[in-house]
Amino acid sequence: VSQGGRPRTTLAVHTATGCRACEHGVLDLDQEVTALGRFADPVFWPYVLGTPWEALPREVDVTFFAGAVRTETDREAARRLRDRSRILVAVGACAAFGGLPGLTNLAASGGSAEPAAGEDAAGDDGAAAPALAPATLSLAQVVAVDYFVPGCPPTPALLWTAALALLCRGESAARLSFAAGRLPERIAEAIAAGVLPPRGSTFAGERAVCGSCSRVKEEKRFEVCKRPFQAYQETGRCLLEQGLVCQGVATQEGCGGLCTGAGAPCRGCFGKAPAVFDPGAKMVAAIGSTFDSAKADEIAELVDGFPDLAGTFYRYTAPSQCALLAPPPGAAGGGA
Amino acid sequence: MSGFEPKIVAFLCNWCTYVAADAAGVSRFVQQPNVRVIRVNCSGMVDPSYVVKAFASGADGVLVGGCWPGDCHYVAGNIKAMRRAPLLQKLLDQLGVEALRFRLKWIAASEPSQFAKTVNEMTEQVRKLGPFVRKGLRAKRSAA
Repeated sequence: VSQGGRPRTTLAVHTATGCRACEHGVLDLDQEVTALGRFADPVFWPYVLGTPWEALPREVDVTFFAGAVRTETDREAARRLRDRSRILVAVGACAAFGGLPGLTNLAASGGSAEPAAGEDAAGDDGAAAPALAPATLSLAQVVAVDYFVPGCPPTPALLWTAALALLCRGESAARLSFAAGRLPERIAEAIAAGVLPPRGSTFAGERAVCGSCSRVKEEKRFEVCKRPFQAYQETGRCLLEQGLVCQGVATQEGCGGLCTGAGAPCRGCFGKAPAVFDPGAKMVAAIGSTFDSAKADEIAELVDGFPDLAGTFYRYTAPSQCALLAPPPGAAGGGA
Repeated sequence: MSGFEPKIVAFLCNWCTYVAADAAGVSRFVQQPNVRVIRVNCSGMVDPSYVVKAFASGADGVLVGGCWPGDCHYVAGNIKAMRRAPLLQKLLDQLGVEALRFRLKWIAASEPSQFAKTVNEMTEQVRKLGPFVRKGLRAKRSAA
């Protein structure tokens, strides 16, 4: 395990209910993957290394946990990795907020656990599909989480920043300052001082996506709800002003406005901005106030043009950030 | 559910509906005591977040009261409220908040009887609906 006399930080990576794009995100660090290998030792990574659960060491330094918690197997994995990890990081929108699988909560009947696809549904290895919990949860609603890295998937720059801050303590100053330059002051100071950022920190910005979006914002007037193929004009003008449902105003910054820069409306994968109470309510305010009409029937017609508001505004955040769906503050996180 | 008393949060505009509420009391109109009034400067400043937060904190109904269109002290604040309400209504509906629990109503300062009537009407409607329970927790609670 030790290389050059210096023990490497041990790393575990696991995906619960998710698409594994976050694990690909780690591989997508490009040339940095080799650098990662110099200071981190991936001791448990079933998807890439085929590590069985039995091989999970008694103690792991850092665990990257991706995916939402939707089945009993997920819950068990979350508990086991929490027990064995010094630092547990929720990586990606699913682990951090509940993510796309969390949309099932919108249709939740609240019924009892049921098998995924009938009694005899079986996986590749012939094992029965695990039972579904009544609700999909974010990782922090099941076990205590030390850090959050949002995004769907997290951008390589952000993932690399988190890896540097958590895995490569005591490494070169240049690396740490690269990481610190991309984070809020509170986290950056900790990294620069060579200590861990405050527990519970989110590796993202502090403002809304609009803060780092390069588009020109003038006056917002919503005439009709449009899809990108219907409306997008490469004028550099704010997408919301072009009639597209861009959720940048309600979403936490940290991506650098990648999507909006390329002309795709923000979908909110970094979760709500810290100052926002509820992302859906914020979007209703942002869009509704700018309807270009003062007549009730015209407004009603405009509203009809918006299909599935909850599924759009809480696309990545329904289990944890939707004020009317998430368990009330103070309630037991597990829910079961 | 016989002992259920609905909790209704009312955001009332300082210039019209709040005055009407005041006058309704002074004029001794009979009103259900289920409304908790929050005075705001304009119905246009009632951010949808306030409404969502009220429901999230245990309100069974939310009433927003403002001046009639054209009468706004700030020219067009109530028009902003009017633009947001249907969209908010639609979102609330998807999140399991029944339509009758949220209401935007124009009540002028000179209409105290209208205020009392609205309060009584809404209290009865919400009483019939029962307490607001978050989606997903509903079945669990009734099963318990």
